[in-house]
Amino acid sequence: MSSLAVDPVLEVEHVSVRYGGARVVEDVSLSVERGSVFALLGRNGVGKSSLIRCILGQQRPSAGDVRLFGRSSWNSRRAAMARVGVVPEEPDAPPEMNARELVALLGDLYARWDGADVLARIERAGVSARVPFGKLSKGQKGAVMLALALGHRPELLVLDDPTLGLDAVARKALYDEIIGDLADRGTTVLLCSHDLDGIERLADRVAIVKERRMLLNEPLEELKARFRRLRVTGTGASGVDWTPFEISASDTREWGVETLVANFSDERFETFRARAAAVDVEVVSLSLEEIFVALVGRKEVSS
Amino acid sequence: MSSGFRVDPKDAVPIWRQIELGVKRLVASGALAPGVAVPSMRDLAQELGVNPMTVAKAYQRLADAGVVETRRGEGTFVAARSAARGRSERNRDLKQQADRFASAAATLGVAEPEAVGEVRAAFSRLGRGTGGKE
Repeated sequence: MSSLAVDPVLEVEHVSVRYGGARVVEDVSLSVERGSVFALLGRNGVGKSSLIRCILGQQRPSAGDVRLFGRSSWNSRRAAMARVGVVPEEPDAPPEMNARELVALLGDLYARWDGADVLARIERAGVSARVPFGKLSKGQKGAVMLALALGHRPELLVLDDPTLGLDAVARKALYDEIIGDLADRGTTVLLCSHDLDGIERLADRVAIVKERRMLLNEPLEELKARFRRLRVTGTGASGVDWTPFEISASDTREWGVETLVANFSDERFETFRARAAAVDVEVVSLSLEEIFVALVGRKEVSS
Repeated sequence: MSSGFRVDPKDAVPIWRQIELGVKRLVASGALAPGVAVPSMRDLAQELGVNPMTVAKAYQRLADAGVVETRRGEGTFVAARSAARGRSERNRDLKQQADRFASAAATLGVAEPEAVGEVRAAFSRLGRGTGGKE
């Protein structure tokens, strides 16, 4: 196979989900390349959970197709799940079983299962394999769920808000394991998270869902390169000609005007500067979290 | 082993670029001597908390630039020739910073002797004043 060949592990094509008359997901498309880390972002209640259920073949889309490894995830769910590891938003292991028992239970379900590796991961996380799952802390549960999800050496790892409610130490430990797996096996990852700091460290590509629809879907590096905040002060600030900039948002303050530019580049800035020579301009670069908040609002971002 | 530099994922500069510059700086300063092993991609990715492919991209660019060399099965090492490259890079960086300072001084209307005096004062604040070698 040529190195230029595109090898998508997951393809979502024009997927819509409706519950009765309620539209939850509208015409969402995305493609996750083998070996990449794809981050799916959005505020709660934008249809992400329904989309993930469709991806995992647990729910049939009202319209559109989802393909895992080239085959419909709905029609060939069993075959696909043998190649996918999932860390769900809510740890759902039976609370009375300990890690050793869970490893044995799942070992019976998978043809390819490395129980020793799972137990080694659990031990590395400092979790006793003899304590019932229900008695573990949130961080310990997360570590066990991740270890179990990696036990059959999946090609695709789906992480649904794995760090929700974890403290900094537990979060770091979880990312450490994921990074190790990326390095050792080149696992493909679909990461749905509110932890924008973690996404900024790991993601190759970022998609943002807003109000049921895909707002953007592009490489993280390009996203961060094209968004800037521009602060214009001085007389004439309010009447500035923003050409050739595409303005995503604009606020008038006591001191001048602050805008969010969606197509920043040095060349465009020079063109703008030549036209708007009379005002003072400050260019501020933005973190992923700042871009996200600017595009979808502040509510429910921190968690 | 600690790599001796940090990255800021929130920065507009891509992480691979920060790693690339970080290693170059350590080589230029002599903190990473020729022949010394740099951390494995896996170790550095875990230490910095970033995607291993990001580290791989930085190491690839460093290898292309001749700063490091990868020996199959052994790891990645600071290239023998990179000390010289490091010096020329250092000289270029220094010149750039000097240009920046000179133009800032000119903008403020500060004449050369006063500006140079400020540089000397800055060095003595660092506790290692030079004799002002030209």
